Formats: sequence, structure tokens, C-alpha cells
Amino acid sequence: MDVNAARAQSPPAPAESTSPITKACQPGSVALSDQSPLPNVARALATRKKLRILAFGAAPGRVTARGGGYTALIQRMLTSALKGTKVTIVNRGVSGELAADAAIRMKTQVALEEPDLVLWQVGTNDALAFVPSDEFALTIKDQIDWLKAHQVDVVLVGLQFARQMQRDAHYIDVRETLRRVVAQENVIVIRFFEAMQIINRVEAGDTALVPDEIERSEAGYNCLAQYVARAITLGVFAKNMPKRPQPANLGTPSRP
Amino acid sequence: MTRQPNAVDFWRGFALITIFIDHVPGLIYSRYTLVNVSISDAADLFVFLAGWSLRLMADGGGRAMATHNVMLRLLARALELYAAQVLITMLAIAMLAATAIELSNPLLLEWHNAAAVFNDPVPTHIGLAVLTHQLGYFDILPLYVVLMLMAPLFALIDRTVPKLLLPLSLGFYLIVLAFRLTLPTWPVSGTWFFNPLAWQILFVLGFAMAKEDAGIGVWVRRHIVPIRWAALPIVILGIGVVRFGWWPDPTHMPNPKLFFIADKTYVTPIRLIQFLALAAVFSLAFRYIRRAAELPFVGPPVNGVIGMFAMLGRNSLYVFCVGSLLSLSAQILRYYLRGTVGIDTAVVILGIIIMAFTAWLAESRQRSAPAKPASPAPSA
Repeated sequence: MDVNAARAQSPPAPAESTSPITKACQPGSVALSDQSPLPNVARALATRKKLRILAFGAAPGRVTARGGGYTALIQRMLTSALKGTKVTIVNRGVSGELAADAAIRMKTQVALEEPDLVLWQVGTNDALAFVPSDEFALTIKDQIDWLKAHQVDVVLVGLQFARQMQRDAHYIDVRETLRRVVAQENVIVIRFFEAMQIINRVEAGDTALVPDEIERSEAGYNCLAQYVARAITLGVFAKNMPKRPQPANLGTPSRP
Repeated sequence: MTRQPNAVDFWRGFALITIFIDHVPGLIYSRYTLVNVSISDAADLFVFLAGWSLRLMADGGGRAMATHNVMLRLLARALELYAAQVLITMLAIAMLAATAIELSNPLLLEWHNAAAVFNDPVPTHIGLAVLTHQLGYFDILPLYVVLMLMAPLFALIDRTVPKLLLPLSLGFYLIVLAFRLTLPTWPVSGTWFFNPLAWQILFVLGFAMAKEDAGIGVWVRRHIVPIRWAALPIVILGIGVVRFGWWPDPTHMPNPKLFFIADKTYVTPIRLIQFLALAAVFSLAFRYIRRAAELPFVGPPVNGVIGMFAMLGRNSLYVFCVGSLLSLSAQILRYYLRGTVGIDTAVVILGIIIMAFTAWLAESRQRSAPAKPASPAPSA
């Protein structure tokens, strides 16, 4: 086989630092999802040297202290990791939107933006609005199936973390529902809640809402950007990776 | 003296109640609103009727007002809408903050796109002031503000070269769709949920059709019966599309795709045509509703509903503002009390009562205003 031809067909190798996870975010990385391949992303990188991501959900709207937003962070990390690749992230998230409404809009936006990957933070609004879990599961499954049929990879970001929601029965139910659906569908999900739960344990502090909760929330989105960028870069090279062992059941932590 | 209930006020009241219900995520009664049987929804109705009302403002007094005075009057209205938008936005932010603190749940700060207000307040407050940052479900008024800022231009064209108004509006609308022109949000990257550059077509259509003595309004009134018959299958098809998922796959549509898919942000042709068909069919409905008000037994409650809807419609800005805050309150209440059918029912009933009270209060202020003194006789 001609080496140069083979190189031309392969996606670009990740940079040495492949979206490294910072020390502050390391504890949460153990709770992240099993890796799944992203064949459409890999194909886009190999053929076009371009990656187009459509972002949905509340997280894309976050603005970091440096400005630019959570998705701008991901874009910088991916650009650094995937040298020679033009990475574009299009934000079409509508804050507060339920999964069913987002799914309808997403189809139109996929048609308009022609992404290689959809990054979708989902579940929090449905849990807070008490959408029945079975309805939520059906929406997610149908949407994932539709995206796969249209050759668009998907990375889901699970429910957001808040200390108070650790014992909320419906919130836990929606989290578990999402975990079940993505396991069946073999897609990547960033288990944001679990990751932040671990980080919060590590950084156990006082219980004031302002400013600590907000600061932790902001730091959480910085970690989330790292987890997403890492998941995407690994997914490009995943192919038939063996499943990682499931993390131990985190259960409900005792009150700090 | 308040005006008698009419179709415009009635349907505007209907739109306001529908918007209130639709703006509470997960509310069980949102399964029974217009959007569940129609491609278009209450927002389309609201903007169309806003354009219709623009005709009353622009032509009030038999077009006796000078053009420049009409333009100033419309700009003043835009300022009024802007002030209302700023007020309800700040109140909504305060409600979210208070609830998040009271319930010790920072997730609530992210509702309605409010996260940037708390996490990056410096640029976000600029965005709030210039309408480039909008809270979720509080994004109809910014659309209305921009449309009212455009209204003086529409009024000017209508007064000078009226035959060009609709073609110019339509031409611009088609360019917007072809090139996907829109307004960006800032500092959070994205685009306006309601694109005023596209929605202006619906506003202008309402403005144009409200004209009874010339233009498309005359043509539509003259041919309304065949138009209704032609519209009926479109309305039925719309019901089928929404209820049975007969949506065409948008990825299979040719370019420019916006011409062939249903999209709310750009009020695309599919949505626009379906709305106009719905309006044509239901333009007959108010006549029959009023007849029902004369029947025994059902007459009094129907009359009550007509009166209440019309009262809401006559005071639409106040009612809309209160309704927006009520939707947020309902969302908070549902979260706190863990939304059940009982809670949802109470929320809807209470919300409608408060909206009706708001309208009544606005009108009672007008009713109790002292009569203006007669002008002094001119000196000899």
C-alpha cells in the first residue's frame, strides 16, 4: 500500500496534547461515557479537512469569563487537537427548550447547516418540566435514529448538576432514562451530572448559592468543554473500541 | 367608551391566552392549543393582527393626520413597546434570581437564556438594552419593537406609493429566505428566534389586508368565499401534517431549502400559506360565535367568553406583559409543586383570571378618567 495514499485517507492524527483534561476537571473524567465511534466525523476529516458541528441545548449559550462561550472553547480545543482541520460550531440552542421541540427544530437546522456532528445538551429542561420519562426516551431515540439515518453523528451532553437535584426522584429518573437510551443506541453521552458530582465532592465547600454555586457552575462548563472535545477527538479514532467497564454506582452522596 | 367586541380584538385575546399556555414548558394544556393542529401558531396570529391594528393607527381619523405625524406616532409606539420589553425582562430576571436563591437551585438561573445575565453581566446587560440578548419566551416583543420601528417606513410607502408596499415587502422576504439573512444575538452567539427581516411580511400582509378601500384587502373581501374553499384543504392538510407527522424530510428539499421547509424563525412560505389559509377559514368563525351568543342556555357563557377575549385584545400590550410574567410564574410554580394535572389546571385558570383582571384594570382607568374640558371659545 502506498503510504502517502493511506495517510491521505486517514483522519489527521490528534496533536500530542489531544485536548488534555486539566487537573481541576480530572476527577470528573472517570464518570464519562463509554467511547463510541464517530464515523461521519472521521469521514469529514479525511475527505474535506473540515468539521462542522451543530450545537443544541442550553449549554451553547453559556458565556465564559473570557467571552466567546462554551462552544467557542470546544472549537479552540478541537482546532488545536485536530491540526489542519477547520472546525466550525454553529449554535442553534434555545434555552429552556424541551427535547421534543428541539428535535423538530433540529431536523430543519440539520438540513440548513449540513453538520457532520450534532452536539446536544438534553434532559435538564425536560426533567424540570416533569416531562414523562417514557415520552423523553422516545424523543431521544427517534432523534438519534433520524440523525444516524442522515449520516450525522451525535454527542449528547446529559443533565446538568445541582446539589439539590441529587435526591430529586424525577431528575434521577430522566438521567437514568437517558443513560439507558444512549447505551441501546451506542452513542456518546457526556455524563455531566456525574462528573460534576465527583468534582463537587472533591471541592466540598459551603452551601451558599451565590457566588459559589454560580462559580462552580461556570467552572463546570469549562470542564464540560474539555470532556466534549476529548470525546470527539477520541471518537474519530474509535472504530471498534472495547467497552470500558462501567464506573461504580455513584449512588446518592451523604449530605456534605 | 370601550369599543364593542369585534373579530380582531376577539382573536387577539385568543392569541394572548394561547401564548400564555404555550409558554409554560410541559403544561398539560399546551397539548390542546393551536400549535397541535396547525403548522402556524398564536405568534403568527399575533403579528398578523398587529399589522392589522397598524392600519387603524396609520389611517385613524380618515387619513387626516399628516404623514410625518403618523410616522412619529408609530415611533412613539415602538418606544412604548421597547419600555415594556425592558420592564418585563428585568422582572423576569429578578423572579429567576429570587427563585434560584429561595430553592437553592442554580439550574433555574439558566432558564430562559438567563445564564449569561448572571455569569457575564457586563456585556449581557448591553445586549438586553439593545435587544440582542433576549430571554427565552420573551422574544416576541423584541420582534414587535423592530416591526414598529419599520412601521413608519411602511406607512410612508402606503401613503405615497401604496401599490409598491406588498411587492417590496415580499421581494425583501424572498431575498431574506434565499440568502438566510437574519439578525445575530450578542453576546451569546446565535440568531434571533423570530427573524424580523422575515416576519415583516406577515406584519405587512395584516396591514395591507386591513385596508378596506383599495389593494389586496378589497380583492380578498370580494373573493373571500372561493378563497375559503381553496383554503380548507390546506387547513386540513396542515392538521394531518402536525397530527400524523407528514412533515417532508427537510434534508431532501432542494436549495434554497427555506422555500420548501416549515420554519418558525423565517416564517417560511409553507407556514405563511397555511396561516393565511387558516385565517381565511376562521374569518367566518366569529360571525357564528356571535350568533351562538344569542342562543338560550349557551348564549350567556358564550357572550361572556366573547366579552373577555375582546377585552384582552383591546388591552393587548398590558395583557401580553402580564401574561409573559404569568407564564414564568407558572413554570416556577409547576417546578416547586411538581406539575400535576391539578396544578396545571389551577395555573391556567388563575392565569386567565389575572390576565382578564389586568385588562379590566386598564379599561377601568380609562373609564374613570375625567372628561376633557371644552375648548374656550375663540376671542372676537
